[in-house]
Amino acid sequence: MTAIQVENLTYSYPRNPVLRDLSFTVAPGTLLAILGPNGSGKTTLLHLLAGLLTPQFGSIRIADHALASLSVSRRAQTFSFVRQEYLPAFDFTVYETVMMGRTVRLGPFGFESPADRLAANKALRDTDTLDLADRRLDQLSSGQRQRVFIARALTQDTPILLLDEPTAFLDLRHQLAIFDLLSELKAKSAKTLLLVTHDLNLAAQYADTILYLGHNQSSFIGPVSEAMDEHRIEFFFGVRGFSGRFGSRPFFIPSSHRENNSPPPEFISH
Amino acid sequence: MTPLTAHKLLWRVVLSLIVLIGVAGSCSLVGSERVNLLQVLKGPLADSVNTDYEILVHIRLPRIAAAGMIGAALAVSGVVFQALLRNPLADPYILGISSGAALGAVIALSFGLSATAAWGSPIGLAAFVGAVITVWAVFGIASAAGRRHPATLLLAGVVVNAFLSAVILFLTSVAQGAKLQATVFWLMGNLNNAAVGGGPILAVIAVALVVVLTILMRLSGALNILSFSPEEAQTVGVNPRRTHCIAFACAALITALAVSVSGLIGFVGLIVPHTVRLLLGPDHRQLIPLSAVVGAAFLILADTVARVVVAPAQLPVGIVTALIGGPFFLLLLLRPSNLTRGISL
Repeated sequence: MTAIQVENLTYSYPRNPVLRDLSFTVAPGTLLAILGPNGSGKTTLLHLLAGLLTPQFGSIRIADHALASLSVSRRAQTFSFVRQEYLPAFDFTVYETVMMGRTVRLGPFGFESPADRLAANKALRDTDTLDLADRRLDQLSSGQRQRVFIARALTQDTPILLLDEPTAFLDLRHQLAIFDLLSELKAKSAKTLLLVTHDLNLAAQYADTILYLGHNQSSFIGPVSEAMDEHRIEFFFGVRGFSGRFGSRPFFIPSSHRENNSPPPEFISH
Repeated sequence: MTPLTAHKLLWRVVLSLIVLIGVAGSCSLVGSERVNLLQVLKGPLADSVNTDYEILVHIRLPRIAAAGMIGAALAVSGVVFQALLRNPLADPYILGISSGAALGAVIALSFGLSATAAWGSPIGLAAFVGAVITVWAVFGIASAAGRRHPATLLLAGVVVNAFLSAVILFLTSVAQGAKLQATVFWLMGNLNNAAVGGGPILAVIAVALVVVLTILMRLSGALNILSFSPEEAQTVGVNPRRTHCIAFACAALITALAVSVSGLIGFVGLIVPHTVRLLLGPDHRQLIPLSAVVGAAFLILADTVARVVVAPAQLPVGIVTALIGGPFFLLLLLRPSNLTRGISL
């Protein structure tokens, strides 16, 4: 049983190939972190998985159904998507925004049932945004806004969550809060999570599996311990540094760009 | 926290309808001729002409009905175009409907056709055809130019508007005396023709308005999420392309109908949606029905002013909407922030 199965996925923009022959599977109830340098196709991959783009070659299966065969509303009940921060044209409140996650479930004229209200309230509580419910989106900090969009995805109540840099604008405490929330969702509700992030160490701490996308359409997927290898990181990110362990937790400290050509700093290698 | 419920919305709509009926009723009693209500109630007389009855029932009420429906149509299409283009500056005329209709009308006028009856007249028909062809062409150009990005569509609309305006200016500059005056008067917008043309055209608009409002209210949840982005809409289960096409067609149809009857009445489609949004928020489930009612009341009031201030002559109502609407809207914009939206009914 797999939640997501990707086979030979290929996608290129005009003059700009990004993904080639990418194949991987994601088990249900696991967290896959997608990392890679800018322009390596991380967001493109999420858009393909969400059905916002159509692959030129290859197939995506979601819970044993071909993605292409699912209707828009079936998709919306299978996965939710947190995009990079986006402001609407008008001043919707936090509550209104979060309730939009229920769009496919609402009645013919768009009014919510008690169940919808319950889901929205729970999502607001889980993301620590309940006290912001009446505020307008443009009155929030970008970190608060990001949590509101996560709340909307939770309100959608889907088995799979796709998140494009959900912690990009958050301070350290809220980054951890979001990752804690995500791993709690994974543990309690058996949600499958795919998230794009730039933070190697948080990915190593919370992910079950790591997917690297590199330039020239290279890729790697594997467990955290293999992904945190410093040679592999250098290959994908062009950055040298030091990989070590703190207890059982792998971490990576990059060396400054200036030191790139000098020998690695004097750490005790693992 | 006070989320919008069906119950609350229903109350607000009923309340605003009562206000609308009050406005329409009082405006029907205002005009260059004084109308005696008791005399009206006697109905059409067998032996002589009941002037009061004739004025109220055959002149004022049709005109008020026309003003109300055209105001509602313009306000609702303003709401739709602002949502779909994700641009608060969009108005019902932004995609070339105005210049297309105007060109149709000006061509008809310059062929010497008369502008007296509303739709029975070739002017209204020419305007309607011009509006529909133009908005279709703008949509086609934008689609051919690439993705249906709001900016592409806006740009296509603006350029087509500018081009057609040049053609209109050319035609008016070679037109003579009476034709020139008729053209200019048509361009400024007035409701005289609608009232004179009467029955059939009002019935057509009424049916179109009811159908379009029902469709749009069923799309209101989709319009909410579309004002974030088409991608967001799709990931919560809304088909953005389908919603776009249906909503555009609805808005374009009622605008074209309105314009073909009344000429260009500016400002209603811009200020009414924004006023409702500023007072009660941007939720389309509420914005669409309330904008329709407020738009109707606003244009009825503006048209009454147009009938009365220089009586027995009449002003083009477009001048009145701009003169009242502009300053009122600026006052709303300058309101202390957050004072208004908290209103709960």
